This record gives sequence, C-alpha cells and structure tokens, in this order.
Amino acid sequence: MTEPIYEVRNISKKYGAVTALDDVTMQLYPGEVVGLVGDNGAGKSTLVKCLSGVHQPTSGKILLEGQERHWKSPHEALEHGIETLYQDSGLAPHLSVAANVFLGREETVPGILGKMGFLAQKKMDVEAHQELERVGIAVPQSNRSVSQLSGGQRQAVAIGRAVAWAKKVIILDEPTNHLGARQAGEVLQIIKTARAQGLGVIFISHTLPHVMEVTDRIVVLRLGKVVKDAPTSEFTVETLLGTITGLITD
Amino acid sequence: MFGLSNMKRSTAGLVAVAGATSLLLAACSSSDTATTASSTTAGGACQGKTIAFVMGAVADPFFNAMKVGAQAEATAQGATLVWQGDKEYSAATQIPVLDQVLATNPSGLVLIPTDPVALQAGFDKAVAAGIPSALVDTKVNDISKAVTFITGDNTDGGTKAADAIATAIGYQDGQKYKVVVGLTSKTATTNVARLEGFQKAIAANYPGITIADIAYSESNSAKANTNVNNWLTKYPDLSGIFAIDGTNATGAAAALQAKGLTGKVALVGYDAYPDNVKLITDGVFTALIAQDPAAEAKQAIQSICTTIGGGTVTTKEVVIPNVVLDKNTSAADLTKYTYVA
Amino acid sequence: MSVATSAAPSKLKSFVSNQQFILFLVLLGMIGIFTAFNRIFFSVSVAGNVLADWGPLVLVALAETFVIVSGGIDLSVGSVCTLSGVVGAFAIRALTEGGMAPYLSLFIGALVCIGVGCIAGVINTLLINYAKLVPFIATLVTLGAAAGLALVFTGGGPIAGGPSQAIQLSVPWLGPISTPIIIVIVICFICWAFLHKSRFGRHTYSLGSNPFATRAAGISIAKQTAKIYVLSGALAGAAGMFFYLRLGSGAPSSGLGLELYAIAAVVIGGASLSGGSGRISGTVLGALILTTVTSGLIIVGVDPNWKQVVVAILIAAAVTIQGLRRSEGKAS
Repeated sequence: MTEPIYEVRNISKKYGAVTALDDVTMQLYPGEVVGLVGDNGAGKSTLVKCLSGVHQPTSGKILLEGQERHWKSPHEALEHGIETLYQDSGLAPHLSVAANVFLGREETVPGILGKMGFLAQKKMDVEAHQELERVGIAVPQSNRSVSQLSGGQRQAVAIGRAVAWAKKVIILDEPTNHLGARQAGEVLQIIKTARAQGLGVIFISHTLPHVMEVTDRIVVLRLGKVVKDAPTSEFTVETLLGTITGLITD
Repeated sequence: MFGLSNMKRSTAGLVAVAGATSLLLAACSSSDTATTASSTTAGGACQGKTIAFVMGAVADPFFNAMKVGAQAEATAQGATLVWQGDKEYSAATQIPVLDQVLATNPSGLVLIPTDPVALQAGFDKAVAAGIPSALVDTKVNDISKAVTFITGDNTDGGTKAADAIATAIGYQDGQKYKVVVGLTSKTATTNVARLEGFQKAIAANYPGITIADIAYSESNSAKANTNVNNWLTKYPDLSGIFAIDGTNATGAAAALQAKGLTGKVALVGYDAYPDNVKLITDGVFTALIAQDPAAEAKQAIQSICTTIGGGTVTTKEVVIPNVVLDKNTSAADLTKYTYVA
Repeated sequence: MSVATSAAPSKLKSFVSNQQFILFLVLLGMIGIFTAFNRIFFSVSVAGNVLADWGPLVLVALAETFVIVSGGIDLSVGSVCTLSGVVGAFAIRALTEGGMAPYLSLFIGALVCIGVGCIAGVINTLLINYAKLVPFIATLVTLGAAAGLALVFTGGGPIAGGPSQAIQLSVPWLGPISTPIIIVIVICFICWAFLHKSRFGRHTYSLGSNPFATRAAGISIAKQTAKIYVLSGALAGAAGMFFYLRLGSGAPSSGLGLELYAIAAVVIGGASLSGGSGRISGTVLGALILTTVTSGLIIVGVDPNWKQVVVAILIAAAVTIQGLRRSEGKAS
C-alpha cells in the first residue's frame, strides 16, 4: 500500500480539564473512504476541526503526504488542498450561491482594479454553477441569498463547494443531514466519484447503513479515544452500533 | 478566538476592562484638582482649606476663564481649588458630581447650577452640612442660605443686546424688523434672564422689532449653526441675531460668513471668546456682551473665606456689570475684557 | 443532484419592495409635506442647509455601515469625529501661524483629521482583537476617551486660528452643493464600490453573515476586523474636518451624539444590526431623510424635539420593511 495522504499521530485536544480527543491516531490513504463514527460527544467534530485547521491540537502530529504540518488557520489547510464540509455552519446565509462557492477564493478583475480587490462577479457566477454541475449538483443560477434555499439545497451547495475545490483530501461532516433518501443516495455517489479520482475522503455520519455502503474502512471514536479501526468488511450494522455504544469491546 | 488559551484570554480581558473603565471614568468626570503650594501672602481664614467649584459644561471658555480667576484667588488665599463638572450642561449629570464633591467634605462650595429647581436639594444639603456655599452665574430658586450670589447682570445684558441690535439695524419707528434668538438652555437662569431683558427692552423701546424665532442648541455649536442656517433661509428679510452665549455665537458667526451675510445681518453675541472678539474687527459681530467671569469667581471665593473666618458677608447678591465690546471699543479694552483661556 | 427552486417573485413586487425605492418615496413625501406647510422649504437655500448637515452625518453613517454589515458596532464615531476636528484645528492653526498657504494648511489639516481617526480605529481593533472586548464595549471605551481628550485639549472652547478660506469653502456654488459636499459624494461612491464590488466588501458581508463560515473559508477575521474599524475611524476623522470647514473652528462638542443618528441612518437604510445586510445607497438615503427632517422642522416652526419622535417612527418602519423583504430573499 502507498503511504497515507493524511495522517494524525497521538493527537490530543484538551480544553482546560476537559479532554475532547485523547491520543488519537488515524491514517487516510488516497483513493480511500474512511468512515469516522461515534456517539454524540465522542469527539468527531473536534477531530474534524483539528484536521481542517480550525482548532490547533494540544499535542500530537499532523502529517500531510508524509510531511509534518501545523495548521495555524483554516487558510493553511485549504491552501494545501484539504476541503471540509462542516455540520450546519459552512455557508454565509446572506450571500448568494456563487459568493459562497468562491468565499475566500474570490476572483478579481484583471489589472489595477483587480489588485485593489474588485471582483469578477459575472465570471464567478458562471463558473460557480459550472463547477457545481461538474461534481453533480445542479442549482439554478440566481442572485438570491442562500438563506432562501431549503436545508437540502444548502447542503447540496456546501457539498458541491467542498468537492469542487478539493485537491487532496475531503472531509465531510454529516453530509446527508437534511437530505431525502434519493438525494442522500446522490451524495454517496458523489463520494464514490471523489474516491475514484484519487482523493482521500473522511466521511462522518450517524446513518450507519450509509457508512457501511460507501466506506472502505471505519474508525470508531468513543469519549475521545479510538476504540476500533478496521476494514468495513469486518463490521455489520449491529456490530458497528455495538462498538459505538460500547456494548461490544475488543 | 481560536488559539489564545482561555487563561491568557480572560486575564487580558480583565486588564483591558479595568484599564478601559478607569479611562472611561476619567474622561467622563473631567475632574481637575489643582493643588496649590501654600502661599506666603496669605495667612488668612482660607489657608490650607479646600474650596470646590461645581459647574455646568466644562466645554465653555466662560467657565474656563472663571477657573483662571478662581485659581488665582485660591492661590492668593492659600487654599486648594477643586474644579469639577461634566461635559454636558444638564442637571442629570451635574447632580451626581455635586454629591461626589460633597462626600469629600470641602471647606467651601461654589455652585453654578444648571437648573434652579433640580439643584436646590443638593445645594441645601451642602448648607445643612455646614459648608459655606455660594452661587455663581446661575442660581437655585431659594438662595436665602447662600453666602452670596454673584452673577453677571444677565437682564442688563439682554437689554444692552437689544440696544446694540437696534443701533446696528438703524432702527426707525414705524418700520418693521425681524430678529431671532439662539439660546443654550430653556431653564438656566442666565439664559432666561438675558432673554427676558432682551424681550422687555424690545417691547419698551423698539416695538417695530419682532422676535420671529427662538431655539436651543444645548451648548453645541454645530446645532446652533444648523438653526441659524435654516433661519436665514426661512426669514430672507432677517435683520438681526442675538446669540445668547458663546457656543451660539460661534455657530451663528460661521453661518453668516458661509452665506456671505456678514454686515447685512446684525449679530450680537455674548461672552468674549478670543476668536469671536477678533471677529468684531472683521465686522462679523456687531457687538459682544462681555461678562467678567474671573471677577465673579474671585468675589465668590473672597466671600467664602470671610465666612470661614467668622465674618459676615454683606453683599448677598452681587451683580457684576457687563461691558459691551463693539467696533468702537479700543484695542486695549478689547484685550482687557477677552476671556483668558 | 438537482435542487429545484421556487419561482422568482414578480418583477413589480421586487421593485416595489426594494428598500431604496421606498426610502426615496419617503424622502419625496417629506419634502412635499414640509413644502406644503411653508413654501420656502422647496428652495436651493434649504437644499444647501440639508446637504451641509448631511455631509458629516453621512460620513459617519458610511463608517457605521461597514461596521454594522460585518456584525459589529462602532459607538465611537461621533467622539472620534470631534477629537479629529479638534486636533486638526490645532494643526491648522499652527500651520497658519507659521505662514503656510491657506489651502495647503487645510489639506494637511484634513490629513491630520483622518490620521487621528485611523489611530482611533487601531485602538478599537486592538481592544477587539487582542483584549477580546466585544465591539460595543471596546468602542464605548474609545468614545469616552476621545470625548474626554477633546475637552482636555481645548479647555472647553473652540479652536480657531485657521484661514478664512475654511468657511468660504463651505459656500455652495453648484446650486446647493459646495466643494466639501462634492468630496463627500465622491467618498460615497468609493464606499459603494468597496462594499458592493470588492473582495473586502464581500468578506465584510460574510463576516456579519456567518463568522465561522468566514474563518473556515480561510479568511483572517482579525485582519478583516482591523481594516473595517480603521476605515470607520478614517471616515469619522473626515467628518471632523467637515465640521471644521463649516464652523471655521474645531469645537469640542460638534460630533458628540452623532453616532446614534449614524446608526439610525444605517438602520433606516435597511441594515440589520445583527450583520450581513445593508447597502450604501440605503445609508445615503437614510442620512438624507434625517437631515431633511431637521431642516424641515425648523422651517415649519415645529418644536425640534419632534425630530426624535420622527426618527423613532422611521426606524420602526424600516425594521418592519426589512422583515417583509426577508420573504423576497434578495442576496447582498
């Protein structure tokens, strides 16, 4: 097997007396989907935020393609090709779809006006919708703010944005939230496509059948610790649930 | 938000809030404690005593000139001067300052009340505590227990202003003229008295003049400027403006200059701010009614020191006469009566 | 994966519920009412008065627009305006006494005013970014310090001693419009361009709309905050210079209290105090409505204290209309 594209070793995250992550070690290989599961409070979102640069771990190492990294901000992680879909809060509701897709990566007009930061708005509007369509999301072009879309539509835009920009790693925190069964199925298809393109995908979900369907390996967190890290084929939905709740221990 | 540990964050926050609060308090109270070395000339009753002045808006050169006079007299008497006020000319802000000062138990109090009713209780409290208390410039309604009440002659100031405007517009019986009046406060006794003096003089001697409008600017020159700008539009045949205090005078002078109406509309102001005195020679001001705030302060302190020394003050109500400064005033006199900042 | 969207609202409905259109109607309505009570209201002279008042107000309101759109608040704009004008007045006086040409001294005075405003903005930024004070408290502190310093520096009275060209510049020559007002109009356009067409503006909106998403998208909130509050201070400083030109002196009372009317102008213009929405055109019209009311009440001869009642009604109406607009879903 090749070396991991993204890896954490002995990551801990403490908030004063509270330990959110305790000595977590995990690898992600290119062209692989790893499921990250656990009950509420297990530490999944904290781990996601350490992986994406929002939080800084208290101790431990992060390695991208074998090189040690210390993300001081989300900007650094994004620059290195790591895209993240956060639970609920990744879009700015007052901005349009295109504005959200290009948030932080806006394109400017050429010349001196561009250096002053003036935006190529029409160009971005067109490109945003093209990119979303390329990864399988069709949202009609409009100037309306994202808050006018339904929860499912917003989720689609956020997923589309992450997949469109991803170069190395994509982390999806509860991507099937707010989606109906058919649309959830389409999301899983998008994940399989990303894997086929050689991206490393971390997929967090509490819908265990989805996890079973689309992942190659599953990492189970409980109270901040990794309690199991095994290929998906070794689990059934029942044993997976048992491992999550602690009923089944190694 | 992210990255700074909780401990560091809360300490930094506490330090900042503490520093910020003290800065805020310092700015709001604008206190100024002048400590004087003991004077060799004194040896009188006030030696080593503290005299507190509690005034209206700190932002007024009239009060600043008063402070200069007060400080000089305090030094001469060997006393310590405490000068307290607020940036706003309002009873709501002055009452807490007065309470604060009384809590320090000064040997004497000089109060410049922003409102004759609201400040009565505070003044009576000072008297009841045995502190010799005087009133300067404005007064409270009941001054029977005051050591003395010293003011410029506000009524006379209004009368003199009426005379000055009438002369400037070339008043003739049988003609009709319009004037406007800009004031700061509806209740401050100085404003009220000056307006009354003005109105009485107009009614008695210059019946052809109508006061078309009156407005209040609360010591804000920009507001005064807005008022005058709009009056000049509303009354195209306006003959004169009576600006009842320094901030109104500043705002009105600027408005006249901007509209190119200097000399065409008579402007009579009150209080000899240095910059406005200059404008007399430029022809912007027809006349300025000058008070003598330094003399008022001096007399107040002297009366208090007499009382502390066991003597009686016979002059219970003192009216310091005004001086009219106009283009006929000599340069020497102009300098003499200009308020020292 | 396709996501169907509901049909867009009819063009007429969106046009009519357009906040700016309504504000414009309100403005016309007010002019009509005041004129009906006193014909003199509809004149170049009154328009000049309204614009002279509008100048400094719209500058601090522009400052407040950027800050409010980003989800913050700047209570210090009025006092910073005052302090800038005072410090600028000292500079202009010193330069004039030193024999400098009048327009040059005024120009340098303007730079000094803006500089003082920028310093205040830096202080606000430090209090917000490093001392971690919420903007309300941080700018309240700066408000107190600035107002206090203005009094301390001046000893209470206005600082004149500048060239007479100062007041002359404020004389309108293009109908009711004076040179300083032309500069203000240019500043309005520049602010419009930066808030609505540039990356800085877009990040301002996203910060107010969702700070977490903004940070997660790789935008430095600390840097964005710094730019916004320094800009706010600079505009407040410019307003201070504007007052100097109008009065011919730097008065320690001129800008005090202006922040509340600035915020009112921004809210009447359609912004939400929780951030993410608001437009320059709304602020410009909101400020114009406020100064029209001021002049109107004086010309008509009504007790000027009614102004506060009128402002309260306008704010209530603006907030209601904003709620209606939400169902239309215009993007920023």
